[in-house]
Amino acid sequence: MILSLKRIAAIAIKELHDFKTNINILIMYYIIPIMIAYIYDKLIPSMPEGFALMFGLLFLVVLVGMYVPSMMIAEEKEKKTLGVLLLSPATPVEIFIGKGLLTFVSILASMILLILISSGNGFAHWDVIFVGGVLTTIFCILIGIIVGLLSKNQMATGVVGTPIYMALLLIPMLGSMGSSTLNKIAKAFPTYYYNDMLYLALSGYEGDKTLLDMMSHVGILFGSIIVALGLLVFVYKKKGLEQ
Amino acid sequence: MIEVKYLSKKYGEKEALKGISFDVNEGEIFGFLGPNGAGKTTTLKILTGQLSADDGWAKIMGFDVMKEAKKLHAYLGVVPEEANLYERLTVGQNLDLFCRLYGCSIEQTNYYLERVGLIKEKNTQVKKLSKGMKQKVLLVRALLHNPKILLLDEPTSGLDPTSAENIHNLLFELNSEGITILLTSHNMEEVDKLCNRVAILNQGEIVEAGSPLGLKLAHSTRRMRVLIDEGQGLVSKELDMDDVESGPILAKWMADGKVRSIHSCEPTLADIFVKVTREFS
Repeated sequence: MILSLKRIAAIAIKELHDFKTNINILIMYYIIPIMIAYIYDKLIPSMPEGFALMFGLLFLVVLVGMYVPSMMIAEEKEKKTLGVLLLSPATPVEIFIGKGLLTFVSILASMILLILISSGNGFAHWDVIFVGGVLTTIFCILIGIIVGLLSKNQMATGVVGTPIYMALLLIPMLGSMGSSTLNKIAKAFPTYYYNDMLYLALSGYEGDKTLLDMMSHVGILFGSIIVALGLLVFVYKKKGLEQ
Repeated sequence: MIEVKYLSKKYGEKEALKGISFDVNEGEIFGFLGPNGAGKTTTLKILTGQLSADDGWAKIMGFDVMKEAKKLHAYLGVVPEEANLYERLTVGQNLDLFCRLYGCSIEQTNYYLERVGLIKEKNTQVKKLSKGMKQKVLLVRALLHNPKILLLDEPTSGLDPTSAENIHNLLFELNSEGITILLTSHNMEEVDKLCNRVAILNQGEIVEAGSPLGLKLAHSTRRMRVLIDEGQGLVSKELDMDDVESGPILAKWMADGKVRSIHSCEPTLADIFVKVTREFS
């Protein structure tokens, strides 16, 4: 399979134009994660160091990473614009990459903003935040595309996606602080390992672990991407890009 | 240019296409007529490779539409029934996307926007355009890569007569430049005006095919209506063209200066459409 960078760029540029006029996406990308981090950081004095950044990053990477691509794909299906893209030389893989690329870059930009506005030692652990963030973002974008493929329209992404988003966001968070049973369940979710990486690096409770101490987590996240990719291929073959 | 043989498609138990066959010659404008749900859009979707047929085959410019769809797309311009444009983007941004995908120049966009009279709207958001303008943008988008064949699904559906006329004129111009056109419609006047040949599709079957004039003559009752002035007002009379008596009668009326108008009574395409779709329902 030969991918055309020009065609991927064409789709990414279109998404960029669209992104500038889509207030919902702007709010999702920048306002909500930054607000979460700011509120936790500045307005809750009892919040342990690093936790505000952790919550902001987790929300950003997991929720935005899944929500935005699912909406992009579902909107194209709803407005029947995917059909005409498929009549062009663009392949489905190029369409997915082009659409995911803007989300990916935007999440990275938001990550930097979050580190900048949060107190704590985010800069000292940029490598953990970056590596964990990149891998989890790719995983979440793939899951978001799958949700988009499974949804008839933008409204349906809520029905299809919310249980998935909540499971991937809340269970790892609750598992990391709850009972051992919940913790065991949480370990089945890739986002648990991202959450754990952030916790190990940022909380200070575990003696500021470095990226080298977390290679098993990195491996699991990498494996999760492969599984999500396989799932995407399966869903695409079953459902296709159009209704 | 386009060959379709024994094409069949089922949606569950419903047979959308029941083994239809037709062909379109190079340089023709071919009309595909039919009531809603007759299978017109299904046929177009199969021809563009968006749907696979259950049986039969279709070739466009020698390419098998089911196996070589991606190669074929370089030669096809498709205008779908619904205005599937990116509404939040401007006209220019919508067209630029496809220019980049096809690798054609931005000048091409300006050229066609000039041609359809939309160059001033290049920086207008699509959602602010009228339906007729959107239809023109769809047409420009389909033309950017200089296709050899245009497939149009209900190109003037819902447009006012002036906008429809503009689209018709543009289609005539494109056809005169060598583009083969296949269009679907249930607007009989449009098809009569535009098409060299038509096929009427009903419940997944082609029930009639030929040139509009040929069909009208074939379904003609071979009668003529003559409006004559009898002194106390106008009277409509009908004459049988095959009756030897009709000639002398008409000649006498003409000699007496009574004839005000003469019309042959061949049916319109709409009459034929209603007749054949009723017969086959």
